[in-house]
Amino acid sequence: MSHAAQPPKTAPVQIPASAMMIRVMGVVSLVCGLLIVITYQGTLQPIRRNQETILRESVAQLLPGVQKQIIYQVQPDGSVRILDDVQASVPKLFAGYNSSGALLGIVIETSERGYADVIKAMYVYSPEKQAIVDFKVIELKETPGLGDKITSDRDFLANFRNLEAKLDAAREKLLHAIVTVKHGTKKNPWEVDAISGATISSRAVGRMLDKSARQALPVIARNLGRIQRGE
Amino acid sequence: MHHAHGLVEPSPSESMESFLNGLWKQNPVFVQVLGMCPTLAITNSVRNALAMGLATLFVLVCSNALVALVRKLVPRQVRIATYILIIATFVTIVDYMIKAISVPVYKALGAFIALIVVNCIILGRAEAFASKNPVGKSILDGLGMGIGFFFALLCLGGVREILGAGAFLGYPLFGPNYQPWVLFLLPPGGFFTLAAWLLVFTSWQARKKRRQAPAEVQS
Amino acid sequence: MNESLGHIFLDSLLINNFVLSVFLGICPFIGVSGKLATAWRMGVSVIFVITVSSILAYGTNLLLVNFHAEYLRIITYIVIIASTVQMVEMFIKKTSPALFRALGIYLPLITTNCAVLGVALFQTAREYNFAQSVVFAIGSSAGFALALVIMAVIRERLELSDIPHTAKGTALVLMLAGILSLAFMGFAGMGQGG
Repeated sequence: MSHAAQPPKTAPVQIPASAMMIRVMGVVSLVCGLLIVITYQGTLQPIRRNQETILRESVAQLLPGVQKQIIYQVQPDGSVRILDDVQASVPKLFAGYNSSGALLGIVIETSERGYADVIKAMYVYSPEKQAIVDFKVIELKETPGLGDKITSDRDFLANFRNLEAKLDAAREKLLHAIVTVKHGTKKNPWEVDAISGATISSRAVGRMLDKSARQALPVIARNLGRIQRGE
Repeated sequence: MHHAHGLVEPSPSESMESFLNGLWKQNPVFVQVLGMCPTLAITNSVRNALAMGLATLFVLVCSNALVALVRKLVPRQVRIATYILIIATFVTIVDYMIKAISVPVYKALGAFIALIVVNCIILGRAEAFASKNPVGKSILDGLGMGIGFFFALLCLGGVREILGAGAFLGYPLFGPNYQPWVLFLLPPGGFFTLAAWLLVFTSWQARKKRRQAPAEVQS
Repeated sequence: MNESLGHIFLDSLLINNFVLSVFLGICPFIGVSGKLATAWRMGVSVIFVITVSSILAYGTNLLLVNFHAEYLRIITYIVIIASTVQMVEMFIKKTSPALFRALGIYLPLITTNCAVLGVALFQTAREYNFAQSVVFAIGSSAGFALALVIMAVIRERLELSDIPHTAKGTALVLMLAGILSLAFMGFAGMGQGG
C-alpha cells in the first residue's frame, strides 16, 4: 500500500521556526487573496447587471406598457437624484414611463416583519390618482397555505387596485393612515381588507404600506416635476 | 483495518475505491451524519438542494486539491489554520459566483452559502484525507464525498418538495386537486424527513450485516 | 430595519429558534444533548462565545465596510471566531479554573458550531446596529442553549424506555427535534398583538 512511503516523510520533521510558519501562512494567504480578488473583480459586473435586471423586470411586471425606467435614489435632505449603483442600500424610487414619455407610476420597495419572517414587497404609487394602484410581494417566508395567501388571494389583492394615499394640504403627512381592518369591514378607500385566517400577515402589509408611503410620498410630491420630466 | 479490508469487495483500483467510498459506504449524511445544518435547512425544494449540493461539491474538490498540493509545505502547528483559510477562500469564491449566476438562488440559500465554511465534511476531508494523499486521489475523494452529499440533499429535497408542494423542480405532479402536505416544507418536516431516511439506511445496513454474518461463518 | 430590542430577543430565542427553526448548530445539538449536565455547560459556553464574537464581528464589519473590503467578510469572521474561542478559553482558565475544568473539551468544539458564524452573518445581513446585534447574539445563543437543555431532559427520560434498535441514536434525536420544532412553531406571531 502507498501508506508505506509516508512515515519517513513525517518522521524527520524538526520543530519549524516561527519564521517558517509565517512564511508558509503568508504564501498561502497570498494565493488565497489573489483568488478572491480575481473572483470579486470578475463577478462584480455580472452581479450588478443581474440585480438591476431583476429590479427592472419586477418594475415592468407592475407597470404594464412601461417603455423607459429611471431609478432615483432619495438623498438624506429629501431631494432625489438618478441612482448610480444598484447595490447601494438607499431608498429608491423606480419611475416608469410609457412610449410617449409620460409618467405611468412610481414603484417603491418596502418591507415589514410578518408572521414568520420579514416580508419584502413592491407597490405602485400613481401621483395622478394619489393612490396605490398595485402591490406585489417579492420575498416572503410566511406559513405556506395561510400567510402566503397575501400573494395570491384575489379579494385581498383587489384592495390595491385603488388604495387611497392622499397627502394633507401641507404635503407633509398622509391625510389618512393606511390601515388593515378585519375581514369584511372595509368602509373607506384607505383601508385594507384583511384575509380571514391570515390577519397578521395582512396587517403587516398594511403597516408596510403606511410606513413606506409616509416617507416616500412627501418626497415624490416635492420632486414630482423632476420625476415627470425624467431628469 | 486489514480484516476490514478482507470484507470489502476488491475494487478495480484504490482511487476508484476512495471515490465510491464517499458516494455510498461512507456517505457523509446518511452514514457519517455530518453537515446536518445545510442538509436540513435548504432542502425544502429540489432547486435549492441542487444549488447547495453543487456549491459544496465545488468547495470540497477545490479545497481538497489545494490542501493536497501544499500538504508537504505546511508545518503541523498551523495546518488547521491553513486549511480553514483555504476553505474560506473557496467559499467566498462560490458565494460571488452564485450571486453572479442567479440572484433568486442566492437569495434562497442566503447565509447558508457562507456557512459552507463550517460544514464539518469539508474540514474533515482536508484533515483526514487530503493532508495525507496526493492531489489526484484527493480530488477523487472530494468528488466522491461531494456527490454523496449532493445525493443526500437530493433525497431530502425530493421527498420534501413532492410531499410538501406536490411538485418536483417546480413542476406540479399531482394536478390542481392535490392538497399539499405543507408541513414538509416547514422546519419540522426537515427533521422528520431526515429521520426517516436515516431509519431506512440503518435498517438496510443492519439487514445486510445479518445476511453477511452467517455467510462468513460458513466460509 | 427598525426592530425593537425586545422583539429581536423574543424572535431569536423562540420564534426563529436557531436550532429548531433556522437549523444552525445541529451537530452539537445531536452530539452533546445526551446528558443534562454537559448540555447546560455547553449552552453556557456557547452563549458566552457567541456574544463575544458577535461584538467583535460587529466592529470588524465596520472596518471592512470602511475600507470597502466586504469580500474578506467570510475569512475574517471565521478567523475572529477561532480566536475568540481561544481567548475565551484562556480567559476562563485564568479567572476561573473550576469553570474551565467543568467546560473541558466543549470549548474548542465551539469553533465548528455553525451557530456562531451564523449569528455574525445574520446580524450583518440584517444591518443591525450595535445594541440590536448584542441582543440578537444573546437571544439566539440562549435559544440554542434552551433547545439543547430541553432535548437533554427528554433524552435522559428516554434512556430506560424500550426503543426499537434501528431508531436509536441520531434518528431518534431528529424525530424528537421535529416534534419540538412543531411545538416551537406555535410561538410564531408572538408579540404581534393579534
